[in-house]
Amino acid sequence: MPVAERAHAARGALDALWAALRYCYPLLLVLLLWELVARAGLVRPLFLPTVTTVLEQFWVLLFEGEIVAPLLVSLYRAFAGLALAVVFGVFAGLWMARSKWAHWALDPLVSLGFPAPKIAFVPIFILWFGIDHLSKILLVAFTCVFPMIVATYHGAAAVSRTVIWSAEAMGTSERKLLSRIIFPAAQPYIFSGVRVTVPVALIIAFTAEMIAGGGGVGAALMFAQRFFQTPTVFVYILVMLATGLVLDLVILRLRHWLIPWDDEAV
Amino acid sequence: MAVSVAPRTWWSGGSYPNWLRAAGRYLPIAIVVAVWQLVVELDLVDRAFLPSFGETVRALWEMTRNGEIVVNLLVSLYRALGGLVIGSVVGVAIGLAMATSRRADQFLGPLVATTYSLPKTSLVPLFILWFGIGNVTNMLSVMLACLLPVIVSTYHGVKAVPPVIVWSARAMGTPHRLILWRILLPSASLSIFTGIRIALGFCFVLTISAEMIASRTGIGKLIFFYGESGAYAYMFGGLLAIVIVAYAADRALLAAMHYLLRWHDSIHAAHAGG
Repeated sequence: MPVAERAHAARGALDALWAALRYCYPLLLVLLLWELVARAGLVRPLFLPTVTTVLEQFWVLLFEGEIVAPLLVSLYRAFAGLALAVVFGVFAGLWMARSKWAHWALDPLVSLGFPAPKIAFVPIFILWFGIDHLSKILLVAFTCVFPMIVATYHGAAAVSRTVIWSAEAMGTSERKLLSRIIFPAAQPYIFSGVRVTVPVALIIAFTAEMIAGGGGVGAALMFAQRFFQTPTVFVYILVMLATGLVLDLVILRLRHWLIPWDDEAV
Repeated sequence: MAVSVAPRTWWSGGSYPNWLRAAGRYLPIAIVVAVWQLVVELDLVDRAFLPSFGETVRALWEMTRNGEIVVNLLVSLYRALGGLVIGSVVGVAIGLAMATSRRADQFLGPLVATTYSLPKTSLVPLFILWFGIGNVTNMLSVMLACLLPVIVSTYHGVKAVPPVIVWSARAMGTPHRLILWRILLPSASLSIFTGIRIALGFCFVLTISAEMIASRTGIGKLIFFYGESGAYAYMFGGLLAIVIVAYAADRALLAAMHYLLRWHDSIHAAHAGG
């Protein structure tokens, strides 16, 4: 590589770093303020440990396997529930858009179930499915299925009538119509639905663990709080924050890769 | 669901009176309730796991008569709606500031983006540590959860205002404050309401979660308490009450939105969802 080009590349990297730093400066400022307040002894360490203590605690917990294992448990619950919700939601949404009977039967149930705070069902799900994986997975599915139905329905209902009529006029069967036209056309909506629902799935999995215990990051967080291990509490909160952020980025990338023809920025 | 795309059905023809049409629309819920009652009556499921609909309603009625449900619902509603109102007001202010000032955007943007995906329930244990168990912990977490969707929807709503309108107003000498009140906020109102509707859902979830995690009062605590003590008819009764309240609150917000924004072009088309 010629020197000039190398210098150019280096400057490009430096510019990128500078841009990232400029984007992140409010976050760094908040962390700095936090560190200063905690160091100055304005509050008791029990209430607000220093950032450095929290980071040290993060390393300790990481090497003890206290972060990866509970995180995997929580992620498994969130994604198993989400997968169920996507499958059921897409089927129900497509069905509602194509059949007036399905619409009649499901519409009032969806409009009643959508605004209901599903987290209140935790005691019932514990009663029916125990406190281990199953109750949490099903609660996540139960919560996520409503936004998935609505997203799919809107996507399928938004398919232009003329496209459907043309396909029908050419003798396309209902099944082909669904798989070749309506489902692909509804995909961007379905994907937006998934993007909206992933954080919901995480929230429900974490929260159900916080309420009912049974392993996972939520349960670990509550456990730390009960024993006043404030640095550990902060570590788990930051882990939840990072998980949400990383997943959102992954989903955006996935969307770009799966449906490159749709550049909608919802 | 969007009315415009709903398939025509036998009851949506013109010849039925309104009450019959409404009954036809809500018939599926009645069918679900009937199936629930039948399944229990016929002993297809263990009564210990599922009280019948009749027992649930009786339990709910009893709790209403002795005031238990009313008191706890009021406590929860106070926390949920109080947090929602504070969160919405602050959220609109922050969203507006971010949309109109580049410096505010540069400073708050990254903070909003990073905290958006944090499950706000995770803050409950921390707040318990700081403020103890009670209204402050509960309302603060509700407030934070409601804040972010309102910030984001306000921001996008204000950003979507055609700059031509703002320029014309400025050219006619409208002061900055009036541009906010007369132009930016009204144009963004539909988007803001959409954010508030999302926040409304969050406020119930947060209130109930916080009450279930640690509380002495509230509907979440009541449901959890009856669940733990094995009085399942009462647990279902409490749950029925909160489902009805959440549904009513959502409908009330929609009705308020339709009334307040009746002048808005896209209110009829844009708002049917969910």
